[in-house]
Amino acid sequence: MSYLHDLAVFLAAVTLTYFAALNLIYLAFTAIAWRSLVEHLRARGHAPDDEVFTSPVTPPVSVLVPAYNEGPTIVESVHSLLSLRYPQHEVIVVNDGSSDDTLERLKTEFDLVPVRKALRFLLPTAPIRGAYVSRRHRNLWIVDKENGGKSDALNAAVNASRYPYVCAIDADAILEEDALLRVARPIIDEPEVVVAAGGIVRIANGCRIDHGRVLDVRLPRSRLATLQVLEYFRAFLIGRVGWSRMNALLSISGAFGMFRRSLVETVGGYSRDTVGEDIELVVKLHRHMRERDERYRIEFVPDPVCWTEAPETLAQLSRQRRRWHRGLGETLWRHKPLAGNPRYGWLGTAAVPYFLFFEFVGPVIELLGLPAILVWWIFGELSVLFLVGFFVVAVLLGILLSLAALTLEEHSFRRHREGREIARLIGFSLVENIGYRQLLAFWRFVAFFDLARGRNDWGEMNRKGFATIKEAPLPPT
Amino acid sequence: MLEALGIAALTLAVLSTIFLVALVLRRTSVAREERRRLQAERRLRSLALDIVGGEEIDVSGLATEELAILAEVIGRLSRNLSGDARRRISAYFAGTSAFATELRSLGDRRAWRRATAAYRLGDMACDDAVPRLIRSLNDRDADVRSATARSLGRLQAHEATEPLLLSLVVGVVPRAIAFRAILDIGATALPGLHRLARSSDAAVRAGAIELIGWLGDASDAELLVGAMNDSAAEVRARAAGALGRLAEDEGATALTDALDDRIYFVRLHAARALGQVGEREAVPRLLQQAREDRFEAARAAAEAISRIDPQALLAAAELPDAGPHLHEAADLLKA
Repeated sequence: MSYLHDLAVFLAAVTLTYFAALNLIYLAFTAIAWRSLVEHLRARGHAPDDEVFTSPVTPPVSVLVPAYNEGPTIVESVHSLLSLRYPQHEVIVVNDGSSDDTLERLKTEFDLVPVRKALRFLLPTAPIRGAYVSRRHRNLWIVDKENGGKSDALNAAVNASRYPYVCAIDADAILEEDALLRVARPIIDEPEVVVAAGGIVRIANGCRIDHGRVLDVRLPRSRLATLQVLEYFRAFLIGRVGWSRMNALLSISGAFGMFRRSLVETVGGYSRDTVGEDIELVVKLHRHMRERDERYRIEFVPDPVCWTEAPETLAQLSRQRRRWHRGLGETLWRHKPLAGNPRYGWLGTAAVPYFLFFEFVGPVIELLGLPAILVWWIFGELSVLFLVGFFVVAVLLGILLSLAALTLEEHSFRRHREGREIARLIGFSLVENIGYRQLLAFWRFVAFFDLARGRNDWGEMNRKGFATIKEAPLPPT
Repeated sequence: MLEALGIAALTLAVLSTIFLVALVLRRTSVAREERRRLQAERRLRSLALDIVGGEEIDVSGLATEELAILAEVIGRLSRNLSGDARRRISAYFAGTSAFATELRSLGDRRAWRRATAAYRLGDMACDDAVPRLIRSLNDRDADVRSATARSLGRLQAHEATEPLLLSLVVGVVPRAIAFRAILDIGATALPGLHRLARSSDAAVRAGAIELIGWLGDASDAELLVGAMNDSAAEVRARAAGALGRLAEDEGATALTDALDDRIYFVRLHAARALGQVGEREAVPRLLQQAREDRFEAARAAAEAISRIDPQALLAAAELPDAGPHLHEAADLLKA
């Protein structure tokens, strides 16, 4: 009995400390993000975007699109990418052995012809079946290869890319017209220093979309997707803005990130043995630059928008979150020398420990700590009043952080024009702390079992749709 | 402990309420402000068009806020105008307090205010701002320097050519923005660029040579051919690019010789330039480069042959040792 008591007290104390520390960090980040966003918005008023757009020396960009069974959305996505406002860019779609009609749809829509494309093959990939160029858009390339996963497809696209910067985009995502220009700004401003930059990801469910353009920003009808809207506000407008300011950004979303190609090649490209290839690449870049004592920055830019479809069922959301958590765990394990190591600056001393203790181990503490507090109460050493008070403070903190993120969004970008949508978001920020957050913690907890079992699959995501030098062989006719 | 929890809960509740109120107030006030501003802009737009069109307009009856909105509307119009219309905009602003205010704001302690002023001065089209803007190229804030460079370009301030190029070379102004600004200055920047092309600093020479390629004409070919023998590879590469853009036959021999340069990016630029010049004599040497050189230089050579002699490319692509770049270029030609 005494052993159980000691264990419960220990776990409860850890939980309370964890809870206090996490929320203090969140509050500090909210303050940092507020300041950064205000500065960013002011700078937007005098940013010479038109000059950058019309400058002949703005660096050209290769947009990389890995596609696996993206038949319902691929044509619209490619149209949207071709119409991006950027001085010079090419779009490289890699058909990663799709079993649906992805390739056929592309061939029909864009009048593709086979070409023996010269490929670098600096990064190993699954065999390439062939390459095509569009007769209508000479900056559109399709690389057809055997299935090897998202990382493998991205590496194939890097091998096929022509330009010094690559921008990885999810095939089901929609970029706003000037998103590429905006995300490239830190790189254009300081090409010697900035090696990568990422933009914000927003949820497209519910929005009115036509021909790959978001015409009207609306909240999703699905409650589950609406909860994710709030979650994304917190993650991007507070978390990433804060870490970026400290040059300790651990993740650039796989849905939308720009990188210096030569550096991606130097670090070996996207790792093919992890489901968190986006976070892993960013950590590899940090590590490479820090270990060589080179001056660099990896930036988050809050206004270039990438719209993406959020899961609307519990099963899909569960799969997505477990996969994200596995990816985080794999990356942290692979780069464990960084944890607490001052050689890696804020990355080693703050970001990696934070992600390790609060993001990765956090769900375990949350799920085991709450029962421990209850056990402590059963032993009669905690009062009911304390339990209720603790619960109220926890919920209020959650509400405060969500409202802060919402206010930040409203102060900065104001994408949701309808007042009732804001009212709905306020309502969700009040209720999300009861049930939704605990569910997320549970899924992330389950991810530990996936990791122990060595699961390495992505799981299916049913899309509804929005509306050494070698060459690629000629595809079979 | 309970007391602490109570205080925490109360504090959080108060903060949450503050955010909630801020959210609601912000939304209502911004919406109202946007509506008001839109109405004012609509009302003042015709006045702005009259001023730009050369009408004599009396603005003395306008309130301070309306004058500021009018200045912004005219500033926006000015971005797409040149010639007489822009001169009229300059004449309008020269007589207003808006210009004096922005000029004064270049010395503001807040960086964003200095940057905004630098940006607006470019739209006001008043040459009087140029000396002060040139000084702002040395501002400690990067945004101010970028906005200043942009405005100097908008004002076509030829006297800013040298400081702009130096800012570009040192990297205190983004290359894309400084380059665009000098292009906006136009041919009047050429005398300054010619001077800088003889600089002892290779990076300055390279920048000047590159810009001469964009702004110059046939009379610059001799200078560029001379630069093909520069000791700095960067200058040789830029000179090759410039000769290609001017598409002058005079440079063909120097460009062909540059295909043997020991630095690969000089060979790359020389190959591209030969494609632009259309030098048929260089095709055999380009074929060799397309088969044997490093990736980018080989691709540039294959693309050059595609422009100069498509038949030679198609024939070469059939040979067993053609290599991937000739295959790709030939397939693209047929596509």
